[in-house]
Amino acid sequence: MKMKLLRSKNWKVFFISLAFVWLQTGLVFAQQIRVVATWPALADITRQIGKELVNVDSLATGVEDPHGVPMKPSFVPRLNRADVLVLIGLEDEHSWLPALLDVANNPKILLGRPGYIDCSVGVPVLEAPTLVDRSEGDLHPRGNPHYLLDPVRAKVVAQNIATGLSRNFPQNQATFEKNLKAYTAELDSWIGRWEKMATPLRGVKFVEYHPEWIYLADRFGMKRVGSVELKPGIEPTPNHIVGLVQQIKEEKPQLLIYGAQNPRLPQQIASETGIKVVRLYSGGGNQPETDTYIKWIDYTVRTLVQSVS
Amino acid sequence: MDLCQTRLQTTSAVFVLCLVILFPRVGLSQEDATQALRKQLGEIQNQLKSALDRIDQLEKEKSSSSARLGQVEKSVQAVQSAPSALNPSMGLVLDANVQKRGTAGGLFDFRSAEIGIAASIDPFARLYSFINGTKNGVEVDEAAAITTSLPYNLTVKGGRFLADFGRFPKYHEHELPFVNEPLSIDRMVGGETQADGAELYYLFPTPFFLRATFGAMNKIGEGNDRIDNTVLRSGSQFTYLGRLNTYFDLTDNHSIELGTSLAYTPSVRLAGNVSGGSRMLNGVDLTYRYQPLGSLVYQGLTWGSEFYANSERFPFDIEVPNEDDPSILETRTVGKRQQSYGGYSYVDFKLNKNWSTGFLLDYAPVIDNPSQRTLSYSPYVTWNISEFNRLRFQYSYLSNNFKADKADKGNQFFLQWTTVIGAHTHGFLTR
Repeated sequence: MKMKLLRSKNWKVFFISLAFVWLQTGLVFAQQIRVVATWPALADITRQIGKELVNVDSLATGVEDPHGVPMKPSFVPRLNRADVLVLIGLEDEHSWLPALLDVANNPKILLGRPGYIDCSVGVPVLEAPTLVDRSEGDLHPRGNPHYLLDPVRAKVVAQNIATGLSRNFPQNQATFEKNLKAYTAELDSWIGRWEKMATPLRGVKFVEYHPEWIYLADRFGMKRVGSVELKPGIEPTPNHIVGLVQQIKEEKPQLLIYGAQNPRLPQQIASETGIKVVRLYSGGGNQPETDTYIKWIDYTVRTLVQSVS
Repeated sequence: MDLCQTRLQTTSAVFVLCLVILFPRVGLSQEDATQALRKQLGEIQNQLKSALDRIDQLEKEKSSSSARLGQVEKSVQAVQSAPSALNPSMGLVLDANVQKRGTAGGLFDFRSAEIGIAASIDPFARLYSFINGTKNGVEVDEAAAITTSLPYNLTVKGGRFLADFGRFPKYHEHELPFVNEPLSIDRMVGGETQADGAELYYLFPTPFFLRATFGAMNKIGEGNDRIDNTVLRSGSQFTYLGRLNTYFDLTDNHSIELGTSLAYTPSVRLAGNVSGGSRMLNGVDLTYRYQPLGSLVYQGLTWGSEFYANSERFPFDIEVPNEDDPSILETRTVGKRQQSYGGYSYVDFKLNKNWSTGFLLDYAPVIDNPSQRTLSYSPYVTWNISEFNRLRFQYSYLSNNFKADKADKGNQFFLQWTTVIGAHTHGFLTR
């Protein structure tokens, strides 16, 4: 029996079937544009623009520290097969993406090529440093890259993605533009709702762990009074924590917002000052209620409003 | 009364007659009006459509012209803000330590100052170089060009580089998770796999990561002085390299990476080596990583092991009777093939964003006399003050089964300080 199974005819049938299945899979995927996005929120916006024309894959899951995505070799085959790459830009992915692109053997998606869709193009950037020096911490020389937290700026992102997809696949330009219009209209409607919903956030003072929340604060009128980190990307010294605790006691901010960072320090500061601690991720996509861009922003705004109510 | 009735009847009859005559006319005029209205509506719709098309066209023109304007503005800003934009990115790493080795004493060891330079050459290739200054002088550690746009998933690298053999042998020493390169790498591979030659990489079109490397080089190993790097040689006297490297995500947080390497030199009869013969250096490496995505910056565990086998003929002296006078013994150098096996294993725990600790176990034979070996144990602790500033303390205990120098046995202590300025990365190979 065992010998029968191992007969060459059986193997031939097996390999022919395998090749057939593989070819079919290839044909199915060949019909769609293969997009790799660095973050789930970008992947979702791309899906809204490309709809059934695109097959979008996100490298990060959304729970990662924006500056601590592992350089997994499993990302390499995905980048190798991508038709376009959608990324945040502003050096947000500098610690892991360039090295992966070096080995992905895909010239289509290298910096400067048509398939490299940098979503930061045309986004009004905040906190562009005047002094680019590492004494100021782990800086992003062209400005704070966490702009996706502002839904108005997300409209520019959607436009960039539509433009990028049209640049690579001009035959589908009309579809991308139609989908962009629909998505922008949907975003506009949500922005109106969020602005009403976020009325209680206007003027709310907050402390953040890492400078990730400035775009959201800027949109909804919140005021940042301090950061747990000594400088961007630099863990605090004991003296900095003492100073921050004192500042919180004096200025009485209502919220301390942190995300992928260690909860220990925020909890410690909260126990000393009574400040309310909120954990929110600046990546989105990590849980069912944040698995689309709109759901993520909605969840974020609702959570903040509930925290100050 | 009758007259009135008759008039009424007549009027009614005329009215009915008028209705009968006029009604179809009224119906007909309604139909005409509807048709006219439809026509007008159609015209209005056409006008509206052409107006909307015009608006769309104007919007497009406006957005494309504003995009063009934005690009021009960006370009001007880029040139104004970064006049050195076309210069390569540069960085400098300082690696220094203070050490105490056995009973031999201590030393402030300026180990290296490494300048890294990298940039794209053109749309088809990029160039990088690491120039290393040590207490012994300045050397080009690496300077290699790499293609970026070859078809069929191929990449070619040429120049001087750290050959793709094993995992840690191609790391620069300051990139290692411990202070010193494992002695097994030093003795069996010849230190860092520095090689003058060329490598071809092929990325398999598989759903998982699988990459092959083929290479040809003068020799492999910075410290391998058994082969002269500068003389002309026949094809059999080059070293040929092959490597297969794969990686699997077990879950989102757990992964495993496997590699197997071979460096084959058909004939090492160079630099006065009387023994000749081939050299076969094999390596197998296995790395397990626990990287919790949600707290990668704060937690993690890496367990890595490499095993090497070296087969090579080495010269050694024997005493043989003189042909004319057998009572006289004379010394003759002959070659003998030696098989040696060694390797290391380490585990590294990330305790939080700043602190990590680990333990290295290293077994290193002397390859021309494999019965002599060194076993070492090295616990260490690392303080990452920031991403670019690191202090590391390591204790090592070296146990030799032969008479070794005082500096190479017993208790050893190291305090290493590694700092980086500018852009400095060793890329994917040293992830």
